[in-house]
Amino acid sequence: MPEIEFTIDATTGDLTMHVKGVAGPACEDVAKLARELLGSPGTDQNTSEFFVHTQVGRQIRPHLGA
Amino acid sequence: MSKYLAFPEILFKDRRLLVAALAEIGFADVEEGDRLPLYGYQGDRRPETAEIVVRRQRIGAASNDLGFTRTPAGYVPVVSEYDQRTLLAGQFLPRLRTAYSEAVVEEVRRRVRGTTQRTVESGIVKIRVRY
Repeated sequence: MPEIEFTIDATTGDLTMHVKGVAGPACEDVAKLARELLGSPGTDQNTSEFFVHTQVGRQIRPHLGA
Repeated sequence: MSKYLAFPEILFKDRRLLVAALAEIGFADVEEGDRLPLYGYQGDRRPETAEIVVRRQRIGAASNDLGFTRTPAGYVPVVSEYDQRTLLAGQFLPRLRTAYSEAVVEEVRRRVRGTTQRTVESGIVKIRVRY
């Protein structure tokens, strides 16, 4: 199941997010939404799963409704 | 497992979420407009302007107006050194950033139609959004 893990340091308000279980371009959709709300990240790092190839028909995409 | 992003700057990208975050920490009464004037604690007009303003009358007798100026990157706080030091015991900006971050998480949850699981440990808030 796709998951986004947010970590907020309540002493500073610093926020980090880690997108899990979403390979390749679908992950970028979530990152795009984050940039829309948070601006450009200081760190933007693709982890190994970003590069895993997904099979046609099995790709999971986020629902980015209004 | 695909992407990791960190947002260390004091910058608020979304106007609606910023206003909601201000309300969350006790500053619900804001003025919104373009290039609104800012006033100091003696009623003196300051050189800065802002698009979102909390008037000093809503804060405290010795406080100045709080403002947020729109820039191409987002809204930047205009807060006097005095208010940064004294407002919410010096925690105004950290608490605002935390409230804004929580508002962002809720907005993401809503957009992806997900569910959340929230834990807090030693001042670290972890929120997992599954969808």
